[in-house]
Amino acid sequence: MFADEKLINVPFDVYRYDASRGGEPRYQHYELRLAPHTPILTGLLRIRDELDPTLSLRYSCRSAICGSCAMLVNSKSRLACHTPVGPEVREHGRIVVDPMRNQPILRDLVVDQQPFWSRYEKMEPHLILDPKHPMPEGRTTPMSPAQVERFKETPRCISCAACFSACPAVEADPAFPGPMALAKLYRFVVDPRDTAQTHRLRTIQTEGLWLCLRCHLCTEACPKDVRPSERIRDLKELAVQAQGGTEAGSRHAIGFLKNIEERGTLNELKLVRQTSGVTGLAASLPQGVRIWRKKPEVTKSPPPIEDLDQVKKIYAALKDEKAEES
Amino acid sequence: MRLAYYPGCVAQESGKELDMATRWVCRALGIELVAFPSFSCCGSGFVDEANEVLNVALNARNLAIAEKAGLDLLTICSTCQGMLTLANVRLADPKVKARVDAALGPLGIHYGGSTKVKHLLRVLTEDIGVEAIRAKVVRPLAGLKVGAFYGCHLLRPSDEMQWQTGEEPHAFEDLLTAVGADPVYYRGRVMCCGFPIQFVKPETASRIAGRQIEDAKAHGADAMATPCPLCHISLDAYQNQAAKAVGHRLDMPVFHLPQVVGLALGATPEELGLPRHLVPTDPAVAKIGRPVRA
Repeated sequence: MFADEKLINVPFDVYRYDASRGGEPRYQHYELRLAPHTPILTGLLRIRDELDPTLSLRYSCRSAICGSCAMLVNSKSRLACHTPVGPEVREHGRIVVDPMRNQPILRDLVVDQQPFWSRYEKMEPHLILDPKHPMPEGRTTPMSPAQVERFKETPRCISCAACFSACPAVEADPAFPGPMALAKLYRFVVDPRDTAQTHRLRTIQTEGLWLCLRCHLCTEACPKDVRPSERIRDLKELAVQAQGGTEAGSRHAIGFLKNIEERGTLNELKLVRQTSGVTGLAASLPQGVRIWRKKPEVTKSPPPIEDLDQVKKIYAALKDEKAEES
Repeated sequence: MRLAYYPGCVAQESGKELDMATRWVCRALGIELVAFPSFSCCGSGFVDEANEVLNVALNARNLAIAEKAGLDLLTICSTCQGMLTLANVRLADPKVKARVDAALGPLGIHYGGSTKVKHLLRVLTEDIGVEAIRAKVVRPLAGLKVGAFYGCHLLRPSDEMQWQTGEEPHAFEDLLTAVGADPVYYRGRVMCCGFPIQFVKPETASRIAGRQIEDAKAHGADAMATPCPLCHISLDAYQNQAAKAVGHRLDMPVFHLPQVVGLALGATPEELGLPRHLVPTDPAVAKIGRPVRA
């Protein structure tokens, strides 16, 4: 502690529950005097050591390296060792601590991380080499700085699952692999030593890539600035450019691309047709009619923008051939 | 003040009521909107996923149009705000800038990087100010509990959007308080509306929308309000699907941001396009009564 830092009163409300005993979860109130810069983890350990030895939590390094102590701090997914008490007390008057979301609660702040790890393992998170050309014993493959630059963020990941906890797509759909799993997958897709890029991209396109909502809550939660949502974006662009519009998600992205090239603006009805096909359009007809009654513009083609030729020339200069063909 | 008006695609098409309400409110507050028929779509996040550099270049062209006119750019959609801001951010990378300049240069377009992108919520709370708006209220939304629903791209990534925190913003609630409403704080207010995957997996999109509406309702909201027309599609036009996904009726009126302000400043529901909503807003409007000051 800094000698001149004033202690503040820190009210904690901590989630308590024991799955092995069942019953209703409850919040237990504790109060400590702490310096504002004190990490929340330090506060929780003082609660456990001085006030209540029954409090369960997972932690190890206390230095934002091991990734063990992710939890909800006033509803936000955070590493407890990396989040000071002061700003939370200033903003909320107290610190409400809950276990992470999207994983079953075992006891108090400890969750079963199985859903997180099993989705990660499905990504085959290791180098897949060409069996015909195995890497000779003891040899290394040189990589250029530019190649390394492409995945400089993902190795920072400490697998804390804060992103997984923050993700609304994980919450709503078990088919979504989660931000960390996809960020790690991206790292192997752009690794020049890996030989399974086509397989990886084709598989992930049908197994959840396009369920990312790009809400960026993962990037907000990540304590290591891996920026998972941006890695997922990169992965989508690689998939579109390598494989074109094979799925509803990639067709929607390409449909948007074409819409703007043709008119400079969005054509709502046409876009739905491009993404969902004629059968999909028919399936969404009742909903379409409901909307059309109040908003008849949905069936009209908007006029092209002025200076559309400029847009077309920008496309000609920068467009990707593969995406345009499909 | 004068601003380059970037309505975005949806407010010119199915979300026309947002454009109507924006024009009404800006007129009432003395904000002059300058239209540019050559603006193109922001790409809505989808073009960014198909071709990042192309998306930056298209938005650099939009930003250059405003820059040439010497105006900051007004958006009324969280996604437009996000995409146009992101173009400014990505252009700071010299490699991106070189490719974009090479595409725009031959067209005689030069973007110097000076255009500020301002969402209406920011203009109202920062440039006009909540006190100035409070002074013009003729029909306080007294007793109306409103759950603000921000829309992801207005907030995040917060280090790029350079505004309020990405998970605990307060501008919309400040504005709601200024017009006399009671803001409702709930977790869903900064969550996703589900719209980006509406055409990828509709049932998941609806489950996500349903969850946020339920959350607002559980915290006592009579209505929700959003600064994003894409969120509005999810929360209003597709609310019946969201209700199906969560297994019960929701009956939640959802306002566009300028409609809430417009009501307080004395506009009629028709002037704000409220009859165009799929979920009737009448129960919420009935709660606030008639203008008390002419």
